[in-house]
Amino acid sequence: MRAILLACGLTMSAVLATPAPSAVPTLVGKPAPDFVLKSTDGRNLRLSEYRGQVVLINFWARWAGDSRQEMPALDKINTTYSRAGLVVLGVSVDEDARRSGEFAQSMKLGYPILFDTTAAIGRDYLLQKLPVTILVDRSGVVRYSSAGYKRGDDRAYLDQIRELLRE
Amino acid sequence: MDFKHRIVAITLRSGLLACALALSAGTFATAADTVPAAQPDPMPKVDTSAQPAAGAQAEAPAAAPAGDASAAPPAADAPASDFKTLDQEVQGMKKDVIDLNKDLFVLQEELLFPANTQVAVYVSMDVGTFFALDSVTLKIDNKEVKNYLYTAREAQALLKGGVQEIYLGNLKVGKHELVAFFTGKGPVERDYKRGATITFEKGVGAKYLELKITDRVTKHQPEFKIKDWE
Repeated sequence: MRAILLACGLTMSAVLATPAPSAVPTLVGKPAPDFVLKSTDGRNLRLSEYRGQVVLINFWARWAGDSRQEMPALDKINTTYSRAGLVVLGVSVDEDARRSGEFAQSMKLGYPILFDTTAAIGRDYLLQKLPVTILVDRSGVVRYSSAGYKRGDDRAYLDQIRELLRE
Repeated sequence: MDFKHRIVAITLRSGLLACALALSAGTFATAADTVPAAQPDPMPKVDTSAQPAAGAQAEAPAAAPAGDASAAPPAADAPASDFKTLDQEVQGMKKDVIDLNKDLFVLQEELLFPANTQVAVYVSMDVGTFFALDSVTLKIDNKEVKNYLYTAREAQALLKGGVQEIYLGNLKVGKHELVAFFTGKGPVERDYKRGATITFEKGVGAKYLELKITDRVTKHQPEFKIKDWE
């Protein structure tokens, strides 16, 4: 009897200890929320004006260490695939646009960096962890979303980008 | 026609349209099943998996169960004109859907922004030699209602004669103040920020205001005006 009770107790505690599978909100399959933001060179860029091209949006912040690793990889992707119709947009969610602009300049990136100082666009894109990389297809629908970055993740981006560029 | 009548009319129309679509879907489900594979689908966008309504089965004798061999020959022998008629009907329904959508849009606009409280603000630009528009911020009664950043394409569109509806909202009858701040590049590529203010009387009808950016050639400066369209 004690053994049965113990087994029941252990099962119950295991069930309670297991985190409930919480659905991470994602925009995949939904239209990408439109935005217009100021870029490092002073131009205002609107996402919907890139309809017809594959767009990679990378949300980053200076304080997110993974962003520093990811940005050079994205710059390489931009250099290789921009001629094929890929547009890379970096969106800084730092409150201080000047400092994040300086940081981006020090990284010598070939793609535009936009400033979302109020994080309003970040909220629209349901950011929970930085960096976040999102791929938007030619019709403006989010097709891929990835939070965080570890070495080698850019290969997954490349697979997705090639597929989207072929469509 | 007042709003209530229009809502009832649109609801009735949409109901009828839904019934018609259900009927056509039912008829098509059977027709599509019996069409030889090599023949091009006359209406590829119709969802053939849709279950026909009970009424549809009663009214459409051709709607025999899919896969029933006895039902196949009559449908297969059906002349091409039947498909043509069906196609025309579907095209007609599509047109009805578009019309209905248009009506709903107009109704939504009228409900959300009724004419008696509606205030619309437009932006236009003339010449633009002395000013490159970057953004416009609108304040009504000291409350920011809009902050719009212009891309190069949008600014070009304004220079080519385009007029943009920058704001549509509701205001009570009475006196109100609109302040518009324009930022951009002024003469000699200098950062430029200017404001324009207007106090207007909101009456019973809709109110239309236009923010006009023009060049004052004599002073080599841009000019910002707010025009009240009576």
